[in-house]
Amino acid sequence: MPARLVASAVRTCLGDGAETFAALLAGRSGLGPLRHGDPAALNVAHGYHIDDGGARVWAASRWLADCARRAIAASGIDPAARRMVALVGTGLRELAAVEALASSGPRFPLHRLHFGDVLREAVPGLRTVLTLSNACSAGGHVLALAEDHLTLGEADAVLVCGTDATTESMLAMIGRVADQPTDAVRPFDADRQGVLLGDGAAAAVLVPDDDTRPAVARILATGLSCDAHHETAPSVTGIGRAMRDALSRAGRVASEVDLVVAHGTGTALNDPAECAALRQVLVAAGGDPVVTAVKGAVGHTSGAAAMVNLDVAARCLTSGQVPPVVGLRRPLPDGSGLRFATGPTALAPGLVQSEAFGFGGVNAVTLVESA
Amino acid sequence: MSSPAADHLPVVARTTAARTDSSVPAPSGDAAPAPGTGPTGVRLARWALHLPDSDALAADLADWSGVAARPLFAALRGAVPADRAREVLGPKGLLAKEPATRLALCAVHRAFGLPRGRPAPVQVDPGVAVVVASNLGNVATVADVIRTVRRDGGRAVSPLTAPNASSNVVASTIALWYGFGGPNLMICSGSTAGLDAIDTAVRLLRARRATRVIVVGVEPADEVATDLHRAGRPAAPLRAGAACLVLTAEPAVAEPTVRPEPGPPAPYRLGPDGFDPAARWGDCYGAAGVVNVALAATLLAAGAPGPVSVGCGDDIDGRRAVRLDEGRRADR
Repeated sequence: MPARLVASAVRTCLGDGAETFAALLAGRSGLGPLRHGDPAALNVAHGYHIDDGGARVWAASRWLADCARRAIAASGIDPAARRMVALVGTGLRELAAVEALASSGPRFPLHRLHFGDVLREAVPGLRTVLTLSNACSAGGHVLALAEDHLTLGEADAVLVCGTDATTESMLAMIGRVADQPTDAVRPFDADRQGVLLGDGAAAAVLVPDDDTRPAVARILATGLSCDAHHETAPSVTGIGRAMRDALSRAGRVASEVDLVVAHGTGTALNDPAECAALRQVLVAAGGDPVVTAVKGAVGHTSGAAAMVNLDVAARCLTSGQVPPVVGLRRPLPDGSGLRFATGPTALAPGLVQSEAFGFGGVNAVTLVESA
Repeated sequence: MSSPAADHLPVVARTTAARTDSSVPAPSGDAAPAPGTGPTGVRLARWALHLPDSDALAADLADWSGVAARPLFAALRGAVPADRAREVLGPKGLLAKEPATRLALCAVHRAFGLPRGRPAPVQVDPGVAVVVASNLGNVATVADVIRTVRRDGGRAVSPLTAPNASSNVVASTIALWYGFGGPNLMICSGSTAGLDAIDTAVRLLRARRATRVIVVGVEPADEVATDLHRAGRPAAPLRAGAACLVLTAEPAVAEPTVRPEPGPPAPYRLGPDGFDPAARWGDCYGAAGVVNVALAATLLAAGAPGPVSVGCGDDIDGRRAVRLDEGRRADR
């Protein structure tokens, strides 16, 4: 059963949701020099950072609290008066605090590794908070769980969040597998070099489909799958299963998808696999969607990435404008047959597919339409 | 190596939507959950405990419950520590695997009664979901990577440890080992994670996202994890261990009545307000909810009268409870 998205608050290196979308339409990127750690030691020279003047440790909590407060205020819902649960998707939790501790930093309260306490403090009246650590598709997984809460009648509203701040240990892993430091994220580009991290947080309020308050968009369904295929390499079959699960749950057919807000990480493996799955599931069934992706402009916001994609999808629906794939110059060979947005594109999509795939082959695909 | 606890002893686990968080007041009036809207019962088809060095826990639980000691010892016996996981799992596929991942695999392996050796699933089963509860699995890896980068630069970090930088490595490794292709979730919500995982598993079944859910609770007790844990939960030492439950959407084998928690007095209570393994043996932290349910199932299988109330959580993260009812004798 669909759910209604009644509020969405985002924070990326480009600003809030409206500022991010405006920058995307203008083809701007928030890329900058790496601000955390030693670029030479990490073999990473750039990042897509939020610069709020605050400390690195607890930044994910701070941005999460900010987005949650704004989303709750925009929704007009009092969590104390409704059955509301909160679900937080994250890839890196507050592991930055563990890194600081390992570098002779201070001890910290154990419960600050996850986000229950900080979210209950930010949103008075909120009771149950679940922290889900599901890598780069955590946001898509909490969206699915939120839909289930509403469909099964277990909640009147769900606060769905994603948050991640760049950690040095993850940067070290990205740098470790790169030959040269990546200079920019180039989704679906033939000359893509790899991924860079972006700071980001997002919060959205979902209510049941029969709720009458004004809505931003209608979320039809989120499909989930796990590749169970390889430790690090994605599987076209696994990704395709998540796409088909979403269509099946939404009761829609592949040819109805007019726009894809892709995962598009600019890595050697993700982009060809994602293209192959789009061709197999959508194009082979008669679909001809426009494909866009945001990570060339905001970096890979990990646990927030699916929620950032959802916010962009909703803004495409309300504005009739689709932003270009920032960073894309020459599409990769595997992208033949797919229509990548190369400039701001006027489009009135009926059905939008928003994607997030994470380490370990955890896939989440969300279908959205106008409210 | 198979565990006696892996025998087919059907028990109905019933979770309810009713939860209490001591840190905030309960909502009033129309905010209360409507009757019958909480998750209904699901069947606990298999389970296993993998708690190294837990003979004292078995003896204590037998003494406290009055249940025969032998089945409790049998269920807890054979839990090798993480560095001897190959005795359960065989030698292959364990390179660079963290202790939490090894312990979790041991628990799953024993729940299915599998022989030593890595299984070779012929195909991926999209109907089987995995939900893991754990908080401290990769904190030692994160600390090691940072120290290595500071000391020797990033090139000195082993690429083999790269997967471990992601906290969900335990859940995705279980999927990969056994071919479980359904939703794959890693819950890191602190002391409530175990029962949050079971609650989530029930919801996956009800929403028809899976027909079986493998729920695992696991924590390591390495130096970094122990140090972090001591700062937050000084009352009891962190204990390494894992437990696995296999929940199914098959029709309940007992009469399908859903009781809210708290319900009628249960003969046994496991958790903070009853026999609490954390206080008496050691704290499994994020794994505690799953460990306590597996212990409750072992008690029922050993002849204890049901239902058993199971809890986990604390004043900061909140508290959770579920109820475990025994299956019909005829099904045993």
